[in-house]
Amino acid sequence: MKTLPSKVLRLVISIFAVCTFNFFLFHLIPGDPIRLIARAQKLSPEAVAKMRKDFGLDGTLVEQYFVYLKNLLHGDLGFSFSLKENVSSVVFRALSNTFLLLTVSTLIVVLAGIAIGVYSGSRYGTKKDSSIVLTSLILWSLPTFWVGMLLVFTFGVWFGILQISGITTPNAIYGSYLEYVADIANHLVLPTLTLAIVDIAFFITVTRTSLVEVLNEDFMLTARGKGLGRRAIIWRHGVRNALLPVLTASALYISALVAGAIQVEVVYSWPGMGLLMYNSVLSRDYPVLEACFLISSVVVLTANFLSDLLYRFLDPRVEAGQ
Amino acid sequence: MTIEAIESKSPKTMRLLWQDPLGRLGLILTGFVFAMAVVGPMVFPFDSGQVGKDASSILQAPSSGLLLGTDELGRDVFRQFLMGSRISLVVGLMATLISTVIGASVGILGGYFRGKTDSILMSITDFFLVVPQMPLMIAMGAIFGQNLSIIILIIGLLSWPRTARIIRSQTLSLRERAFIVRAKSLGSTNLRIIRIHVIPHVLPMLISNTILVVAGAILAEATLAFIGLGDPNWISWGSMLHFAFSTGAVGRGAWWYFMPPGVGILLVVLAFTLLGHSFDRIKNPHGGTSS
Amino acid sequence: MKLLELNNVSIDYQQGTQKIRAVDDVSMYLNQGEFLGIAGESGCGKTTLAMSIPKLLPAAASISSGSIDFAGERISDFSEAQLNQIRWKDIAVVFQGALNSLNPVQKIVDQIIEPIMIHEPGISEKTASNRAVELLEQVGIPGSRAEMYPFEFSGGMKQRVMIAMALACKPKLVIADEPITALDVMTQAQIMDLFRVLAKDFELSLIMISHDLSVLAELCDRVQVMYAGKVAEVGQSQTVFGSQVGAKHRYTQQLLKSYPNIHQERIFIEGIAGYPPDLAKVQAGCRFAPRCDLAIDKCFTQEPALIQIGNDHQVACHLVPGDSK
Repeated sequence: MKTLPSKVLRLVISIFAVCTFNFFLFHLIPGDPIRLIARAQKLSPEAVAKMRKDFGLDGTLVEQYFVYLKNLLHGDLGFSFSLKENVSSVVFRALSNTFLLLTVSTLIVVLAGIAIGVYSGSRYGTKKDSSIVLTSLILWSLPTFWVGMLLVFTFGVWFGILQISGITTPNAIYGSYLEYVADIANHLVLPTLTLAIVDIAFFITVTRTSLVEVLNEDFMLTARGKGLGRRAIIWRHGVRNALLPVLTASALYISALVAGAIQVEVVYSWPGMGLLMYNSVLSRDYPVLEACFLISSVVVLTANFLSDLLYRFLDPRVEAGQ
Repeated sequence: MTIEAIESKSPKTMRLLWQDPLGRLGLILTGFVFAMAVVGPMVFPFDSGQVGKDASSILQAPSSGLLLGTDELGRDVFRQFLMGSRISLVVGLMATLISTVIGASVGILGGYFRGKTDSILMSITDFFLVVPQMPLMIAMGAIFGQNLSIIILIIGLLSWPRTARIIRSQTLSLRERAFIVRAKSLGSTNLRIIRIHVIPHVLPMLISNTILVVAGAILAEATLAFIGLGDPNWISWGSMLHFAFSTGAVGRGAWWYFMPPGVGILLVVLAFTLLGHSFDRIKNPHGGTSS
Repeated sequence: MKLLELNNVSIDYQQGTQKIRAVDDVSMYLNQGEFLGIAGESGCGKTTLAMSIPKLLPAAASISSGSIDFAGERISDFSEAQLNQIRWKDIAVVFQGALNSLNPVQKIVDQIIEPIMIHEPGISEKTASNRAVELLEQVGIPGSRAEMYPFEFSGGMKQRVMIAMALACKPKLVIADEPITALDVMTQAQIMDLFRVLAKDFELSLIMISHDLSVLAELCDRVQVMYAGKVAEVGQSQTVFGSQVGAKHRYTQQLLKSYPNIHQERIFIEGIAGYPPDLAKVQAGCRFAPRCDLAIDKCFTQEPALIQIGNDHQVACHLVPGDSK
């Protein structure tokens, strides 16, 4: 079960399982969803009938399932009545905004987290190490959305210097593309900071633990015996080996990252998947909610698959089926 | 089960926990939170109907009579805070109970019987491990309604996979050991072996894992409530923050409203996290639960 | 010519609030081109003593007194930077348990090149890599395996790699800590032959640590037996293991009796009763006295000094008369 083709197969099966699970979950909605939406949107009887047919809700459950699968393969995620456009376009627009947010924050979190983790781990047992450990525990215990609220208050309201809402300034006119990028960057600061404050604790902890374990291994003494300087010993021999378990652990992180992103987007009105989910819950727009759940699951599954590939690339022992 | 677990902790473990600085802090914080949750609302009951008389009583800063000021409806924030501690704790503990029972059962059964049983159980477990938790909780919350029991169930149903994995690997390592084989050859039934040999062996790790799950469950409830999926009939710290945020208390600078619930969540989660890590270090010196 | 000289070296371990003396006032020397074997039970201090030479001790250990001279320099006074210059280049180590002494994610050839690049700055990577392959071939590993990773090698081969790696910078002294203990008997014999050949080719001086006296008897010119942090007996191998003079310290004698001799008649193997002493609670007198069947009253009150009893043969025992002054 360790070869590449089998892993791809597992990914495909998982995605299929998620689609199926998604379908059955959203068909457990108590009450007739069409009637709920019809009542909420005040639709005419003809529109209701058309909707029923479009949604494929005029057949048996199994028939509906296959219609659903067929639509998925065509990239059709349904129609949002609260937003009055195709769900696919709504979701993918939101997805790209979330990607931007997550890419920037993950970069910061991973680089800074690993660096601090190495710093702490290489000073195991010292006061500096203990205080970093305690700080990490506290940071990880913080509710991300609350950190957001605090930062909004401090920087947005009190100091009034940073942007606290949206991705761009409303009705802004840009003289150049650079100004547009700068505006987005300006809006990116607080959301990224919020995510980073909490999530960095994960990488500090995992890196530190991993490094401390590696530093006790025999080959570290060999490195010392060769007359290598402290930095070379820690980084070339220690960190290089310590990063592999960190990569493995990052699979767990992705789930936490998604949860954090949703909270941050709600607090800062960042137009990503999280905000989309939040709004669709408020307006009971089930097609959108369903699509958000499906797409986020597929993205997470794919991310796990990619990190697994990366691990196989980095650890020579795996290739040989060790 | 968490309460039973606490009661069954031997005095020696308690002493070791107390000696560890982080463990001591965890014990103190946990004790404080429990005291607050149990006694607080009894001494300072909260009446959600007692709204403010007029516009001037809304979002008032703390004063001698109102320790934490008032909310957007002119209600006493301090009393809400105490009530919220109780709900946050209850939801966290009950969800953890469900999660631990399911997770431990799945883990032990899979690890002990192996083969087809294990494959099926692990496929289900892995499925729920990979699917992102929060979107699923939100989806389920939106679909099944905002009832406190439903919320407890949802959180419980989505936390058990991690426990299952950990308990399973513990059970697997145990099964290899000779005395299981010996017990079987003496004619012990599977159930007996599980009860007498497996459960005591996995118990330490189960307890430390359970404590950490409580921390996660409390955070999950707070997040769900903040998003608006909490039970509108109950006040929890998360729902306080939900209202503080959505009614603009942050913009108005009403720090007495949005800071205490967050600090409360932080302290409770930190308390259980410290306790769980400390317990883990004491009982499982060779490798422990993943953070 | 003396290559290495240790004078009155004591090494302490800090365990919590306790200080444990792992090596107590030990003096020893090694001549150039000589093979010295250090023998003793686990915990007698032999590894600690040897590792103190390149100062590769754990953080909790420190040399509390004494001096170490190597090639005319007092290396016990060296700073970490100075030590890094002589480590591997002048003094190399073949570590115990090669199973985990190699970096699992680095290719073998890179691990051998690493010290070369550090200690010979001008050298090109190509030259270093050629030397690495040559070394591997000399220890019996085909050059084609140089680009492989440690997990692709068996225990015996990894040990050979460790030996090749130790010789990378053509050191003056090699310290081998239980280099063949973890291997099967056939491989043990092969590695011992390898050491003999390499010693001649590289003009090595070697300190070999082992609890296996038979290995040391075969390979080493001189042997030093340690017990509970002190030297019990030291001398030429032929002297100590031979039948003419033989071992004079009771401990060495008992150790030798623990090994069956295939040529002699079958005898009942006696181990040595008792356990090595707890170094945290050192008692007065000879450390071996509690386990010695020939101990007299003096042995329990006065610690015996290491005295010369023949040409290059010293013993620390009250029962052995010294060389007439």
